Amino acid sequence: MEITNPTPEQNKIAVLLDDLASLESYARDLFSFLPLPVCLVSSIGIILETNPALEKISGYSIEEIIGNPLEKILSKLDTKQLIKETLEKGSVPSQEIILTTKDKKKVYVSASTLLRKNEQGEIIGFFIGLFELTTIKENEEELRKSQSALLNMLEDVEEEKRKAEEEESRTSAVITHLTDGLLVFDSQNNLSLINPPAEKLLGINSDQAYNKSLDELAAFIDNFKPLLKVLGKNIKEVSRQELVIGELTIEVSSASIGTSQKDHGGSLVIIHDITREKGIERMKTEFVSIAAHQLRTPLSAVKWALSLLMEGDVGELSAEQKSFISKSYDSNERMIILINDLLDVARIEEGRYLYKLVSAKLENLAQAAISACREIAAKRNIRLEYIKPEKEMPEIMIDGEKITMTIQNLIENAIKYTPPGGQVTVSVKYDTNKATVSVKDNGVGVSQEQQNRLFTKFFRASNVMRMETDGTGLGLFIAKNIIEAHGGKIWCESKENEGSTFSFSLPINH
Amino acid sequence: MDQELNQELATKLMAMPGEARGVVFKTDGDYVIKQAGEEGLKKLEEELTALGCPIDYKKINALSFYPIGLRIISLLAIRKVFSFDDVKIKELGTFASKTSLMVKLFINYFLSINKVFFEEAPKIWRKHYSVGDFTPIELNEEKKYGIIQIKNYQFHPIFCEYLGNYLCGFFQMLIKTSSINFEETKCPFRGDEYHEYTIRWK
Repeated sequence: MEITNPTPEQNKIAVLLDDLASLESYARDLFSFLPLPVCLVSSIGIILETNPALEKISGYSIEEIIGNPLEKILSKLDTKQLIKETLEKGSVPSQEIILTTKDKKKVYVSASTLLRKNEQGEIIGFFIGLFELTTIKENEEELRKSQSALLNMLEDVEEEKRKAEEEESRTSAVITHLTDGLLVFDSQNNLSLINPPAEKLLGINSDQAYNKSLDELAAFIDNFKPLLKVLGKNIKEVSRQELVIGELTIEVSSASIGTSQKDHGGSLVIIHDITREKGIERMKTEFVSIAAHQLRTPLSAVKWALSLLMEGDVGELSAEQKSFISKSYDSNERMIILINDLLDVARIEEGRYLYKLVSAKLENLAQAAISACREIAAKRNIRLEYIKPEKEMPEIMIDGEKITMTIQNLIENAIKYTPPGGQVTVSVKYDTNKATVSVKDNGVGVSQEQQNRLFTKFFRASNVMRMETDGTGLGLFIAKNIIEAHGGKIWCESKENEGSTFSFSLPINH
Repeated sequence: MDQELNQELATKLMAMPGEARGVVFKTDGDYVIKQAGEEGLKKLEEELTALGCPIDYKKINALSFYPIGLRIISLLAIRKVFSFDDVKIKELGTFASKTSLMVKLFINYFLSINKVFFEEAPKIWRKHYSVGDFTPIELNEEKKYGIIQIKNYQFHPIFCEYLGNYLCGFFQMLIKTSSINFEETKCPFRGDEYHEYTIRWK
């Protein structure tokens, strides 16, 4: 309200009022722009004044804060403690407390207080300033989480280490208690592990053997020499190679333990003692051999007697008698064949199936075998064909008798298992390194699942057994041994009800 | 009689003797900005100018003296422009008590409720208004109530609600309470000789 013609005193009052208003505005601005939440609190803990910074942090408006006890934004306990300390000490430099916002969130703050007194020294309240610790707390929390994560990782590592040690201990126990001998060579092909059975089998103490290569070991321990011969210095991969070490017969297998072909992480060598099995096998073979020899003599006598009877040397026989004698003669003959086969098998297993190598042409042997089979082929109405090699074959070093026997066995089988009217074709061919003989028929064939057992002892295909044909189940086993003894290979390709092709190949040494 | 604000009433109020300190307009202006923003304040100032009683709320000197009628006109204009109900007017009273510079200047004396109630409150009234007699009658802290009478102050009923809540806000700064309210037990606009307020708290 304007005053006309003011007195000097009124002018002075107006100036003072202006100054007061400016002062008030200055104080208000200062308080408002202060970034830290500040409160003026009465001595009984009522908030009398605050600034926008507290509005911002608490979510309450200024008028919602003023006139309310400090407990509205701080916990009762914190408030009590703060007031008590402020009244006792005059100030609290810094105390971590929790502020509760309007939407009930907890905010960590550091509170500082300063006691206020009037001119008479009476306590009229205190200032409280708050410093938000959220970021610091978040960082602390992050650090705590990181620390916790690191501790967890450390625990995990410890756990993994413990598991690895357990695994190592378990593996070590397994290796130690294996019945087979086990040797591990590192990437430099030096022995890094040997288990007790291997020490026993090879007659070595692990302390003497560690960090030595196979050739170093072979240099001072004789038992390693056969191993070195089979595995080589760099320990090549082998599977079930039979070796004789002193009185022992062992089977050696080795494998690379690298993760890839390029990464040679070392080698594992397993030694399996087969001395006992070999002994039993030998005894069995000896028994079969003795039994067969013992049987062959009386069977020969029976054959001779039956032959005399059939030829009428002891008197004329009736047709019926002749028929019985003939059947007995055939049965006796089959028994003799079986005995001879068993003897061959026994010889093979004893390693006494001696080969008489001579220079011969495979083609001639094939023709001889075909000639021997022509009669039975004709009897069974089977057309027997021979396909000659396209070019002249060289002579090769072979046991002519055994190879002829093999070819004949394949042809006889083909005739036996081909229905009348069928065809058996024998072919011989060669290339620079090998000569191959094949016997093809359009007979009963062999099922896929039985083909891998064709060359095992006493095996007879199920469809063949139904045909009630002769056969000991030993012919192909003997043939396989003969061919492999020559360094060759024998195999079969067959389809049931369509026919089979049995082939073998022999190496040509120029 | 709660007469709406118009030119005639404004002129009549402006003619009434007595003065109010600029702080009351400051709190009015701050409340309007809070509720309706700067645009709202502008609207209010336009209404007042139209009535021939212009107020520039930002330029008001909180400590200067202004016609008492302008205090009532400011309240009536706020109610008219923003269609405020009684609740909003009460809220304005609370807001004023908590943000008034005059109250802040008396904060030093908030040592005891008795001293403030019986000694300082009449002084604070007089710091705001040159008219009206503020008389504390009774304070019962045990039963949690206080009685105040205001005599010779009857400009418009709108001030009754405003003042009641202003007193509540003021009491809140003296007493720790979760709830406080008032009752105007006597009012010149209801035929009584003076205003009498009973403030109760829990």
